[in-house]
Amino acid sequence: MSTLRTEEMTLNMGPQHPSTHGVLRFIVRADGEVMREAIPDVGYLHRSIEKIAEKVGYHGFMPYTDRVDYVCAMFTNQGWGMASEKLANIQVPKRGEYCRAIATEFNRLASHLLSVGTMGMDIGAMTPFTHAIREREMINDLIEELCGARLTFNYMRIGGVAWDLPPGWREKALAYLDHFEPILDEYNALISYNKIYIERLANVGIISADEAVNYNLVGPNLRGSGIKWDIRKDLPYSVYSEFDFDVPVGKGEWGKLGDAMDRYMVRIRELKESVKILRQALKQIPAGPVLAKVPRNFKPPAGECQIRVESARGDMGWYAVSDGTGYPWRVHVRTGSFAAMGIIQKLSQGLMIADLVTLIASLDVIAPEIDR
Amino acid sequence: MQELINNIVAAGTFGKMPETLVAAIVIIVLSAVVFLGIAFPFAGIVSWVERRVWARIQSRVGPNRVGPNGFLQWLADGVKHVCKEDVIPTDSDHQLFKIAPYLVVLAFVLPWAVMPFSSSLILADMNVGILYMTSVTAITVVGVLMAGWASNDKWSLIGGIRSAAQIVSYEIPAGLSIFPVVLMTGTLSMQGIIRAQGWAPQHWFLFANPFTFVAANILYVSALAEGNRTPFDLPEAESELVAGFATEYSGMRYLFFFMAEWGNLFIIGAIITTLFLGGWQFPQVSNNAVVMNILQLITFNVKVLFLVFVSMWIRGTLPRVRIDQLMSLCWKYFVPISFVNMIGTAIWVAIWPEGNSVAGYIMFALGIVLAVIFIQRVMYYLRRSRMELYFRPTI
Amino acid sequence: MGAVAEYFDNIKNTVTTIFEGMAVTASHFMRKPYTVQYPDRIPVRVQDTLPYRYRGILNVDLEICTGCLACERACPIDCIVIACEKDQKTKILTISQFDIDIIKCMYCGLCSEPCPTGAIHHTSEFEGADFSTESMIRRFVTDPIDAYKPKKGPETDERIAPILNRGMRYVNEFAQGGEAWNGGVVDDGAAAPGADDEEEAAAKQ
Repeated sequence: MSTLRTEEMTLNMGPQHPSTHGVLRFIVRADGEVMREAIPDVGYLHRSIEKIAEKVGYHGFMPYTDRVDYVCAMFTNQGWGMASEKLANIQVPKRGEYCRAIATEFNRLASHLLSVGTMGMDIGAMTPFTHAIREREMINDLIEELCGARLTFNYMRIGGVAWDLPPGWREKALAYLDHFEPILDEYNALISYNKIYIERLANVGIISADEAVNYNLVGPNLRGSGIKWDIRKDLPYSVYSEFDFDVPVGKGEWGKLGDAMDRYMVRIRELKESVKILRQALKQIPAGPVLAKVPRNFKPPAGECQIRVESARGDMGWYAVSDGTGYPWRVHVRTGSFAAMGIIQKLSQGLMIADLVTLIASLDVIAPEIDR
Repeated sequence: MQELINNIVAAGTFGKMPETLVAAIVIIVLSAVVFLGIAFPFAGIVSWVERRVWARIQSRVGPNRVGPNGFLQWLADGVKHVCKEDVIPTDSDHQLFKIAPYLVVLAFVLPWAVMPFSSSLILADMNVGILYMTSVTAITVVGVLMAGWASNDKWSLIGGIRSAAQIVSYEIPAGLSIFPVVLMTGTLSMQGIIRAQGWAPQHWFLFANPFTFVAANILYVSALAEGNRTPFDLPEAESELVAGFATEYSGMRYLFFFMAEWGNLFIIGAIITTLFLGGWQFPQVSNNAVVMNILQLITFNVKVLFLVFVSMWIRGTLPRVRIDQLMSLCWKYFVPISFVNMIGTAIWVAIWPEGNSVAGYIMFALGIVLAVIFIQRVMYYLRRSRMELYFRPTI
Repeated sequence: MGAVAEYFDNIKNTVTTIFEGMAVTASHFMRKPYTVQYPDRIPVRVQDTLPYRYRGILNVDLEICTGCLACERACPIDCIVIACEKDQKTKILTISQFDIDIIKCMYCGLCSEPCPTGAIHHTSEFEGADFSTESMIRRFVTDPIDAYKPKKGPETDERIAPILNRGMRYVNEFAQGGEAWNGGVVDDGAAAPGADDEEEAAAKQ
């Protein structure tokens, strides 16, 4: 009696696959529906942004930082701004810092909304995605009024922000926050607590706390594994020490600690925390200038610096070396998505093909941020 | 049907042609009228309605440019697909690749033979009507599997295999959920089952006893799974398998798959309506057979279209299940519960062979209570986040 | 929780959560859609509803352009090309070329920020599609034009005054530098933006 001959199937998922969140490729070795392994193949969106920094100067690099992570461009703006300020030892005015905090927290809302929306879409429910995008559009309207662009903001400058809050903007923002909270509850009733949805997410892609630290995960991916680490709280920058907010961590209510559902719920809870921060920031914002006096011909003294920003995708590091000229000698960006790609190969072993989509969405990887 | 043919032969419209030839011509012409005039446009219009319904759920507008309110969108899409190049991949199995869409369409058109539109509008009132319907709809699996295999594409193959596993599995709970009704009526004929029910909701089999209520729900969900509808659209899961078994298809052949999918919605609705919602039953308001038939036709279609609408609404709400969850849902939940339904109904029929009218009223009242609770929840969400914020005057 | 209890709990959870989800989506049948039906089915043009700071296609008011080249230097991708000539006798600066390559432009707003008069500014226009790459280069100078010379007092020329008012409003929208910077290496003459740049540019000619 001969045995049935079976063989592994090699599938190319991407770079034009609908749910790989940009131009990303996975080489999937599958046995039917069950994956042996999924090997991420990155580099399709590499645009040499770090090299460009060496050619365009400190002020001119600001719009390029938008393109590092176009979903939350405020954080990359802030990261470059903070790195340059640290090199040249510039003090940002208080109101400027508040403007930055407000803009970044709104951007965090927008980014997390996109993340939880695409999570729903990758699972097969289109409605949560459009509802999340609808709310994100309103945030984009607000940010557009603030800085004139909806995606590539270029809002911040070295030494502060380019525009002060427009008149009447504060009231609009508060009205939006009042509108947003019930919508979030409705969103949860629609999808987050849906049994089918929980079944799809719970116990998928479990990352233990040790693994999360070893694989250098950051942001919601790290906090989903139960580790309470948030740069805003633990290494406060900007004016975050003046706000009262919690750092939500995964608790494993629906499955094992550190599964996709935990990472998803951390994002949902961070939305609430961001609303809390925004309310405080809009209430406490002081009067004064928003931009320090910085020369157009910006030449920081020779030296190097490393700063960390808690972006929507976690701890974003900006490393800059100055040689005293008007152009940085070297710039390096450390992003959360790239670290998250590293763990996919390990987590994918034994998952189903449908779970790979869940896993990518739950790690919230953004293709341009992986490659830069 | 036979009467019609006899009348035509008697009238001598075709002169001295043999009777069988006349019958064949009449049947071909009638089928062409039914399929080209009713089934295919219905599938097209449903595609437009679905996109509009779905858009409203998602705070969008949906197709509204072609014709009044976008009504002719389905026609534009159809013409576009007909005009497109019919691409056949070089390495595919050409014969199977070409045949597959026709099998799917075949599975879609065959059930219309036993569609009980009204007391006399039915092509063939077979004595095995419901059995015929469930068996011919299962031909879809052959077409889908063939398409998945012949495409010679790994994504298509996974889609086709998923579809085969899914449709074959869900035939079982679907079949078992039909049994309670058959037990109560003692017939498999579509018209016989409808005649056993009344026009009032308490006389419908949906509310006949608790077991039939559950059976109706299981049958509906299983039918959705057989029709590859969300939450069971795994064979063509666009976020996982690109377009599943239809990845390599284009033009008219692609259109056939999706026409069959949307047309199947009517068939799903018709099965449930016939078995559980009283079919075309309408109170006897007139002695004129034509008037009654028109009223019955409207009643039947309203019920079916409501179920079609519900399936669109479900599609707009629920995420997709995973393949292993799909199987465990079928084998661990639906099949055992269907067996319980069958035994429960058998006991019920043994106790009350003529049915229990009190149970009908109680079940109907409970159904109304459920609907009221649902409307309350809808109003709650509507009030809670009613305030719509528009920063733009363009909306 | 026993296996049987879990079994029925699963059924209950599934039914109730789907019930809630269906209620949420049903409530959306009674809400207005949120689609902007660009470009035709809207009460007002989208361009007219955009906020003041919107960064659309660049425009230049040559009447108030001082020819200081601040925008050309600020542009990180060199999509602005300006040519100025200074008559050595009359000391009049003439602008003979002012081209903006809209294909290259990334709408970052860095050029309009240092402009002392607001001559170069973003409009709310965003419909820039055209048939050739050549036509995408906006050439603002047809005949060489004299550069604008800022006056000490308010502008008196009736033709230029409203344009300058618009320009100054645009420039004032930008945050003005507050506290002075005391670190780093400061170039002489380049420490402050605006007027200094202009003089520096003039000196280079």
